[in-house]
Amino acid sequence: MSGTKMARGHFRRRLVASTAATALIAAGVLVGTASGASAKPVSGGTLYFITNAQQFDNVDPARVYTGRDIAFFNSYLYRNLVSYKPVKGAAGSSLVADLATNTGVPSNSAKVWKFTLRPGVAWEDGKAVTCADVKYGVSRPFAADVITNGPQYLVDALAIPKLADGSSAYKGPYKKTGQELFDKAVTCTGTTVTFKLNRSFADFNYALTYPAGAPVPAAKDKGDKYDLRPFSDGPYKIAAYKIGDEMHLVRNTKWSQKSDTVRTPYPDDIVVRFGLDENVRDQIMLDDSIPNTVNLDGLQPANLRTFFADPKRESQRLNVIDPYIRYQAANVSAGHLDCLDVRKAIFFAWNTQALIDLAGGTVFYGVPGDSPVKSVLGLDYAPTKGNIHDPAYKIAGNPDEAKKYLAAAKTSCPATYARVTDPTKGFTEDLPKTASQQKASVLIQAAMKAAGMTVNFNFIPSGVYYATLGDTTKQNDLSRAGWAADWANASTVIPPLFSTPSSNNYTQNTNDPAFAAFKAKSDAANAMTDRKAQAKAWQELSQYAMDQYWILNPIFGKGQEEWGSQVGGVYFWDPQGTFGFGQLYVKG
Amino acid sequence: MADVAVVDSEVADATVVQRTPRQIAWMRFRRNKVGVISACVALFFIFGAYLAPIITRILGLSNTKTYPETLNGFAMPVGGAGGMSLSHPLGVEPGAGRDLLALLLYGSRISFSVAIITSVASIGLGMLIGITTGYFRGKVDAIVGRFSDFLLSFPSTFMIIALALPLTQRVEALHIAQDNGARIVVLVVFFVFFGWPGFARLVRSQAFSMRERDFVMAAQALGASSWRIITKELLPNLWPTAIVFLSISLPGYLAAEAVFSFLGVGVQAPASTFGLVLSDAVTYWRDDPAYLIIPSAYLIIIVLSLNLLGDAIRDALDPKNSPS
Repeated sequence: MSGTKMARGHFRRRLVASTAATALIAAGVLVGTASGASAKPVSGGTLYFITNAQQFDNVDPARVYTGRDIAFFNSYLYRNLVSYKPVKGAAGSSLVADLATNTGVPSNSAKVWKFTLRPGVAWEDGKAVTCADVKYGVSRPFAADVITNGPQYLVDALAIPKLADGSSAYKGPYKKTGQELFDKAVTCTGTTVTFKLNRSFADFNYALTYPAGAPVPAAKDKGDKYDLRPFSDGPYKIAAYKIGDEMHLVRNTKWSQKSDTVRTPYPDDIVVRFGLDENVRDQIMLDDSIPNTVNLDGLQPANLRTFFADPKRESQRLNVIDPYIRYQAANVSAGHLDCLDVRKAIFFAWNTQALIDLAGGTVFYGVPGDSPVKSVLGLDYAPTKGNIHDPAYKIAGNPDEAKKYLAAAKTSCPATYARVTDPTKGFTEDLPKTASQQKASVLIQAAMKAAGMTVNFNFIPSGVYYATLGDTTKQNDLSRAGWAADWANASTVIPPLFSTPSSNNYTQNTNDPAFAAFKAKSDAANAMTDRKAQAKAWQELSQYAMDQYWILNPIFGKGQEEWGSQVGGVYFWDPQGTFGFGQLYVKG
Repeated sequence: MADVAVVDSEVADATVVQRTPRQIAWMRFRRNKVGVISACVALFFIFGAYLAPIITRILGLSNTKTYPETLNGFAMPVGGAGGMSLSHPLGVEPGAGRDLLALLLYGSRISFSVAIITSVASIGLGMLIGITTGYFRGKVDAIVGRFSDFLLSFPSTFMIIALALPLTQRVEALHIAQDNGARIVVLVVFFVFFGWPGFARLVRSQAFSMRERDFVMAAQALGASSWRIITKELLPNLWPTAIVFLSISLPGYLAAEAVFSFLGVGVQAPASTFGLVLSDAVTYWRDDPAYLIIPSAYLIIIVLSLNLLGDAIRDALDPKNSPS
């Protein structure tokens, strides 16, 4: 896997991956309502999607890793063993059986999981979907040289030994190295597939909502090229996919409604138009010139404000809390921000208000957060103490309070103090090299200057941003990053961000005196099967991470969606952080 | 000595005081109203740029301070015309809320510095190489001439864009300068490297014809060294050309600096130059057109005044080539 590809994979997981929401969803929908909620859905017609992108990042089920694309292809092309319930609100985060007849039967402390396939499910060529197809599909993510960018939960969790470099001893269905190990971990008995895991994994079935666990017919697999034409067992199939032009989906006549409790395909044709100029795309939405269109992107900031201010478009938009948090990771290793008082000084000096305003205001961008776990995670989130709840915290920055902590740092860690306050040195923040981040740097610099600190910036091209941060020698003192939970459990937040020295942990906290205890507690929480006790452990660990100021000034983000006046059945599918595509229809 | 001493016909009149070529040129320049006005405007902006710290202090502004009270909840300036007010005469920058006048003053300081250093250095280098090749001809001329042909035909713009980042890193690694300092060094070096051949060619052709003139031949007959002939005989006659070329290339490099900053090659935020302000303004043009118009107008006025000034200087020094 090349460096660039790795970076893209990480980027997507972080910034476009999905989360499940179990509570709090009522608060999710802030503006706008789903149109035609009470109207009767209509079959037929053509549903259009428009985007500025030239193509889908990936179409291969094992390689799709963004909430939007997972929801899109799961609704139209492929079926997983289990799926999120296709409804609005909190219920949308519960699991329903899809390809399987149930949501999985765990045994042996959730180290063994069994799924029985539903009868009557067929591929687009009419052949039945078999257990062998599921097994083959699950084997593909192990071929790390071909199947890039996808989630790694199956690779990590299946009971297959790891090599010294941390990679699996099984090298996937193309090389077949270690095939016997895989055949032991995943077995088929009739229509029942059994997964043997290397640890207790109480929410393993959530990992199977990722299409990386979807069946693939071995005979149709073309390796890397499968990304262009995956074989469908869903209600639609690909009639044409031309990068930079369009993707055309037509009905899969071999699919039957009887075998599917999740999807209700209404339109006859689904067309995704790629490569629209951003201004053209925005104009289409603003004028409603193609009323049976859904915008797959966000509008440009100015147009977003216009669209959301237009009373005529009230039933064509959503402004919701999205699954992401954006934050500054403090590199706490020696020689960087290894001083708690300095980190606190930066936290209090930070002008959160101006940065939020710059990015779209509290209406469209987000609100200050108090935890690495976002409130939409429900059970695992609890308001933390300190940080933004500190009486001295001011949303536009409190340089006086920051100076107090700097004064304390003068004695507690003189070297770090001297560096960050020296106008010729200062500390360095990593930012993606984008226009908006360069603008943000102005605000950060001004806020730090007000508190008597000096900050420099290292702008890294977006494509290699996370790959650069992942190199511990190249990461600077403070790094902007973002993350979304992969499903409704902080096990997809706390361990990757804080308790593993993985490429996602930008705090470099492994030498921190408190790290060993933190990791022990995090590992214990990861293996807990008592969900309530687990949630409590995550809450305590979140509090600890915030008390240590390992991450600074998190923002709980928001997202916006827009669609044309002739599109019905729209709702926000919380776990995927996007539309519930399977229920969209074109009004007659 | 100086060949430019084209004597006015009036000199024959004993009552008229003899004037030096410099006085004549100055007199011609003063008669050119456009030239005088553009000189005043250009000086005004140049002083503005170099006195930026004093001017902003008098006005109570700062180029690094943000003025959050001037922005609304979407970080757009409050009030019309880009948030123009008594305290912010040119309005404020959307997004961050810095004062636009302070940004332009400090920004033009960087732009002017790059333009002046580049112009002087490339003309100095071009002069030296041009005279040498023109005077010695032969092998020196052939080798240097082909090299300058090569540079002139080189796609320098692409080269600058492609090599700016690695070269900046190299400059930083050598501890010559850091961050924006290093980027400015790289930009200047590039501009000079690709900038001298044009002027060198011009000088070479002049030196070519001049070395055949009587006063050079006389110097040679008297046994003057090549060095003496170049510095004492040829160089003084080429000053007017250099001054004209300088006044024309200065606005060119000023605009070039803006272009490269705009393309993300030159100075980077949080500092500001014309190019950075303009590239930022492009993203706001729908919501805040004043933010695009004001810096554009500011840059246009400077470049235009420098160009007109250059024309006026050329007319004054070299009336034979002027259209009027």
